[in-house]
Amino acid sequence: MTQTSHSGKIVLVTGSRKGIGLALTNHFLDEGATVLGLSRQPSDINHVNYYHHLCDVRDAKEVRALFQQIAKKSALHILINNSAVLDSQHSFMLTATSAEAMVTTNLLGPFFVSREAAKVMKRTRWGRIINIGSMAAELEPIGDSIYAATKAGLVTMTNVLARELSPFGITCNTVGVTAFESDMLSQLPRAAVDTIIASLPIPRYAEPDDIFNVVDFFSSERSAYITAQTIYLGGVHG
Amino acid sequence: MTISSEQAETLIRDAIEALNEELPEGERVTAKPSTVLFGIGAEIDSLSLVSLVVDIETTLSEQYDLDIALADEEAIARAVLPFSTVQALQDYILERANESR
Repeated sequence: MTQTSHSGKIVLVTGSRKGIGLALTNHFLDEGATVLGLSRQPSDINHVNYYHHLCDVRDAKEVRALFQQIAKKSALHILINNSAVLDSQHSFMLTATSAEAMVTTNLLGPFFVSREAAKVMKRTRWGRIINIGSMAAELEPIGDSIYAATKAGLVTMTNVLARELSPFGITCNTVGVTAFESDMLSQLPRAAVDTIIASLPIPRYAEPDDIFNVVDFFSSERSAYITAQTIYLGGVHG
Repeated sequence: MTISSEQAETLIRDAIEALNEELPEGERVTAKPSTVLFGIGAEIDSLSLVSLVVDIETTLSEQYDLDIALADEEAIARAVLPFSTVQALQDYILERANESR
């Protein structure tokens, strides 16, 4: 096993069906963890240590009911809040429905999941909450008024939770991801994304291992003194 | 499943004992019915109250199969918060447990 092995850890990943959530799920499974995946749709992941749960993270009652069932069966060590939706439109064009969907999925969802996860983590006085942020929070690109605001809000929420949950041995941090090949990225005009990426200190798309590296760092035993931090990939800065 | 008044009392006492193990000697609380948990004269801080309520919810779920959210909109909306004293908390647990039967 490597130094960053997650053997024996129980990890919950929201939005585990695809994109970054799927990549992280496979990473944790490869490293020996048990993964509880959440999404609104069934998953194709077939692994002896993977358990899929249908759950809409926007529904506080549904989230609570799920965690009550999880708490009866297992511990929880690491939470990855990855579920997110993106509709990149000029503010004149963005519908209220899309705007609300981004706020509820990208901001309220992680809040509902984090607080229930923290109750389970509190029992063992150990937990790592890692939120998947976005370069949009810092770069504030045209079209991402609400998306960028939800991701900036996610960072603030993470930092407040870090204060509230530190007495229970739970750390809360954010990984600020750049462009990553996924269904979400395919919704954006590639030329506009390439222009943004070209302006970064390291002008390339994120690879899965770039994300794993930071997630492994935040989730390691040695990172007990690391909380309320945001690490952006690629040198993103405001 | 439901819960008796005696069981609710024991549940709160055990949770307070567990909380006391984490508190410095001078800040420990007694589990008397009149012990103030929230508001003016509270013997514990807000973090300890949150921790206490979560522990009680967990025990209700694990030992009594009662999945009750004590700190929900219903509790917060009340004129007198049901966590104000140990007795009020005990009464509230019994009320919510009976509702969920």
